[in-house]
Amino acid sequence: MDMIVHPVLLFVAIAICGVGVALSVPRRKFHASLIGGLVAATGVGVLIVALGGAALAEGGPLPSPFFHLLAIIALGSCLQVITHRRPVYAALYFILSILSTAGLYILLAAEFMAFALVIIYAGAILITYLFVIMLASQSRVEDEEEGISEYDAVGRGPITATIVSFALLAALTSMLFTGVRAIAPPAAESVARAETVVLERLPGKIEKELTREGLMARGETVTGLERTEAGVLATVEGAGGGSRLVALPEDLAPTNTEGLAFNLLGDYPGTIEIAGVILLMAMLGAVVLARKFAQIDEEAKATAAAALAEGASAGGGRPNG
Amino acid sequence: MVDLLLAQSAFPEAISQNVLAHYLFVSAAMFTLGLVGFLTRRNLIIMFLCTEMMFQAAGIALIAFSRFHLNYEGQTFVIFVLTVAAAEAALALALVVFLFRKRDSLSAEAWAEMKG
Amino acid sequence: MTMLSMPLGALSSLVAAADGPFIATGEAPPWIALMPGLPLLGAALCVLFACLHVKSKLPGYLTVALLAGGFATALAAFLGGLDNYGVATIFRWIHASIGADTSTTIAADFGFYMDGLSTLWMLFVTGLATVIGLYSTEYVEHDKGLGYCRFFFAFNLFVFSMSTLVMADNLLLLFLGWEGVGLCSYLLIGYFYKKPEAVAAAKKAFIINRIGDLGLLMAIGATFVVFGTLEFRPLFEMVAQGIDAQGQPIGHTWVVVVIPLLLTAGAFGKSAQLFFYVWLPDAMEGPTPVSALIHAATMVTAGVYLIARMFPLYAADDAMIALTVVAWAGTLTAFWAATIEFAQYDIKRIMGYSTISQLGFMFAGLGLLGTTGAVFHVFTHAFFKATLFLCCGAVMHGFGGQLSLRRLSGVMWMKGFGITAACMFIGCLSLSGVPFTAGYFSKDMILAQAFATPSDMIGGAFLIGLLLLLTAAMTAYYTFRVFFRVFVGPKHFEPGDDDHGGDHGADHGDGHSAHHQGETEEEGDALHTGFHPHAPGWAMNSAMVLLAIGTIVVASLYFVNKKEDHGWAGTMVKHSSAAYASPGLSHGDKTAEHHGDAAAAGSHGTDSHDAANPHGEGAIEGDVKPHAEAGTLFGQDPFKIMYYVSAVLGLLGILAAAWFHGPKGAWGLGIGNREHPRRVRMDAVAAKFGPIPRWAENKWYVDELYHTVIVKPLLVLSHVFHAIDKLVIDGLVDLLGSLPRWLGAMLRPTQNGVLHSYATGMVAGSAVLIVLVVLVALL
Repeated sequence: MDMIVHPVLLFVAIAICGVGVALSVPRRKFHASLIGGLVAATGVGVLIVALGGAALAEGGPLPSPFFHLLAIIALGSCLQVITHRRPVYAALYFILSILSTAGLYILLAAEFMAFALVIIYAGAILITYLFVIMLASQSRVEDEEEGISEYDAVGRGPITATIVSFALLAALTSMLFTGVRAIAPPAAESVARAETVVLERLPGKIEKELTREGLMARGETVTGLERTEAGVLATVEGAGGGSRLVALPEDLAPTNTEGLAFNLLGDYPGTIEIAGVILLMAMLGAVVLARKFAQIDEEAKATAAAALAEGASAGGGRPNG
Repeated sequence: MVDLLLAQSAFPEAISQNVLAHYLFVSAAMFTLGLVGFLTRRNLIIMFLCTEMMFQAAGIALIAFSRFHLNYEGQTFVIFVLTVAAAEAALALALVVFLFRKRDSLSAEAWAEMKG
Repeated sequence: MTMLSMPLGALSSLVAAADGPFIATGEAPPWIALMPGLPLLGAALCVLFACLHVKSKLPGYLTVALLAGGFATALAAFLGGLDNYGVATIFRWIHASIGADTSTTIAADFGFYMDGLSTLWMLFVTGLATVIGLYSTEYVEHDKGLGYCRFFFAFNLFVFSMSTLVMADNLLLLFLGWEGVGLCSYLLIGYFYKKPEAVAAAKKAFIINRIGDLGLLMAIGATFVVFGTLEFRPLFEMVAQGIDAQGQPIGHTWVVVVIPLLLTAGAFGKSAQLFFYVWLPDAMEGPTPVSALIHAATMVTAGVYLIARMFPLYAADDAMIALTVVAWAGTLTAFWAATIEFAQYDIKRIMGYSTISQLGFMFAGLGLLGTTGAVFHVFTHAFFKATLFLCCGAVMHGFGGQLSLRRLSGVMWMKGFGITAACMFIGCLSLSGVPFTAGYFSKDMILAQAFATPSDMIGGAFLIGLLLLLTAAMTAYYTFRVFFRVFVGPKHFEPGDDDHGGDHGADHGDGHSAHHQGETEEEGDALHTGFHPHAPGWAMNSAMVLLAIGTIVVASLYFVNKKEDHGWAGTMVKHSSAAYASPGLSHGDKTAEHHGDAAAAGSHGTDSHDAANPHGEGAIEGDVKPHAEAGTLFGQDPFKIMYYVSAVLGLLGILAAAWFHGPKGAWGLGIGNREHPRRVRMDAVAAKFGPIPRWAENKWYVDELYHTVIVKPLLVLSHVFHAIDKLVIDGLVDLLGSLPRWLGAMLRPTQNGVLHSYATGMVAGSAVLIVLVVLVALL
């Protein structure tokens, strides 16, 4: 097996992580989340170090230090999500994990996705989760021990779950670390092609940039792009005809948004429509389900109105909780 | 440092297999954590939260591969994953509230009628 | 086989059996199939009547009519003479090719073989069946309705089976009839199926028959293996030449010893001889006509018939081993049964043991090479034994099932029983061998044969003769014991305790017997208020009269063809496979049968009957050794002197019975002194013998012995098998059945309805799958 890290090391590290996670799962008697977290962190750290060592051994580049930071934050907050006893905190930690994931996306040059993640996920979905948590919350007392519901306080079968999941993780990572070797990095032509395929569709942007740089006069249009050894060359046509090749400045590159836009809307328009339909269905479903609440609300409202009409003390209107 | 922050000014370079492996490991680890959380926690909302976490992990993997292959397919897919996650979250939460009102408890073990 | 039969058949039809048994070679007319066919039709009609809920006596009368038709057919076949002898094939039955190259063929057709033996048998089978059928129309009238139909169905089926047995032209069809009579015997003995004793007796009869049938079946198989055929005609031709299917001589091989012995086992099972006799006395639980027909006249003679039919095979043995066994077995059985009868009090049982005893005589006759005597005794015994049984049945019918001779007396003088008593007297005379009765002549032939057959042919023939003489004397004694106790003497009766007597007598149990001991019996029949003897009606009376007349008439058959063939029976036997030159008997014509060359032992015995017979062909056995002269008795020809000896013994027996059991007065022959049904002179004498009479009364505990030695171990074995069946086989099946249940119980806890456990299962499954893929793909 040609794995990036040695399989035994991998499995041992994963085992350590597993132990740590199992310890962190909420339990009745003693709270070992801190220790568990540290143990898990150790495991992860070992693995990351191993990966880094392997990268250095090949002479390749290391991922940016921001990666390590963001990864630790992401995994740590995920651990807190799954082990914190209070649901609200779990949701909040999840938001933190989303933010660090967004950072990882930025490192991967997918800034649009990062923004989208934050706006949609953290900003909409998670807020909804928080609303529902508070809606369905049952804690009446602030006290730590008594206020937490039974189902939150104790995890169910942590050992079995951990063993099973980390077995899966071991298998996954083995597969990943071996398969990664087999994935061929993109060929040079496709790299070159990738550069120009989006820019070709943005002549306006090129014209603007070239005009700003002074390499082009008004009235001229860019009609083509080609990639040569000297760099990317643009074919500029003059107003009266005649074309010349102009080298593009090096920092002229399509943004992630532009590239994604062309891919999303250009190659998958139908899928967008379907996505819209899915969202519509979800909305309809939520409305249907919510209608029943409305019914309950109506009944409560009716009794409250009747009570009011009798002139008794306004005890109605107690919201359904 | 500033170069790193301004990485967007130039077309992104290809990343190596090893770096890809780093990201994939993070994805796998997050997935596993989500799995553990799903199997362990009994609060329905937290369970759904853990499924969201698994979506996250998938997203990281997709974006990493998108970067590796220098195309935008992965990112497009993540957009749709987000869409589906949103739709699912809406419906799931509506159902959770519904179930909560029935049993007055958020525990997944309150619904064990399919026993046997 | 068939190619041999042609020249040989021609010869034998021209010269009746110059070289062995008579083999009927012609074609019998197909209408002889009416003899089994009419009863079969009767059986089907009785089933129809049962379905239609016929409540009258129609099934009975129809049966009698059909059986009379059968008898007419038998008469016609007999009167047609030799022309009717041969084989009539009705339809093709079994033709199977077996063997690896399908070269061996088992052929058994539904065909009938008529010769003297089967004609004689069919005469008395159909005749007796008709008469006894008439008798039973009245006897079972109390069960009119389904029971009536059931009775006559089994009756008809029985006659069909017996006809098939007797007339079969191959061993397989004979076996069909054999099994059929066993089945009908079971059905009829167990006719009163609500009586546990009857049911047990039926089972006992069937099972013991079955044990014998095993021997018969093995014999059939061996016959097929050795001779390659099951049909009589080719078989007899081969045996006549002394060869088997491959042409090898069979004279001194196992063939002529083992096969006859196996046949004998089958015959003994059916005819209640030797170890197999225990079923016959119990079979008296059946209705009396059944006892008369089946267990006196027809079914129990099937064994005799079998041996007579297969006699060529028996006689082919030089050492006569099987025949010796048959003779001794018959003799011992006859003697044993007679000893038991001294102390039996149930008159039907006495008649049953008497049947066993007389059958012993018949087998002894066969074993002593006196086939003519045996066959004639079968014929006469059928008549007089049936008469005796019917009379006993009339008594039983009339007195509410009372059969004990300690409780009946003077029946002759009771109203309506005169005919019964007369017929009984005639039957008793015949059974005891009083001079000039049928039984006298037929028994004499056998007794004389015992002394005529030299002892080096049948070992110990002289001793057999002495034993048989003793048994004959005992027979006379116990027969007239019944007569002197039951039919004459002071009138007395006590009703029996079964409700077969209908509306009277059912509630009078034996409890009255103690009450009435001290009363004088002059009044007799008014002892019990409400119970009156039920005299037999016209059907029963006419049946008894017919049979009594028949008993008298058959005595005259002794004189038909007496000089040539020793009686009418001899004529019939001569033209059958049982033909054999019995030692001591000379034959008047050249058609005497002798095996092989007649060179051996030209010296016949003392004197031959006919001066016209210069060469005494009597005692010629065969081709081997010259043997001693035919035996003598008191230095005289046994056949002549036996007339006197047996007469003396018979009269002695009757006098003894009169002395011990006879009533005062003329009917006790002047020497009896019985005044009460219970107190007889015999009791005082018997007391001197200590426990022996009691042992005899308990049938020498043979049944108990069988029960202990055979039945109980089998019961234990059956319990063992039952346990194995329940524990092992049932247990195995239950185990297999409980396996899914157990598996389900094991797996059910996984369905606990909790979401998490399902999810954990899913993850575990996918983890295993991925691990497997990873391991397989990457290793």
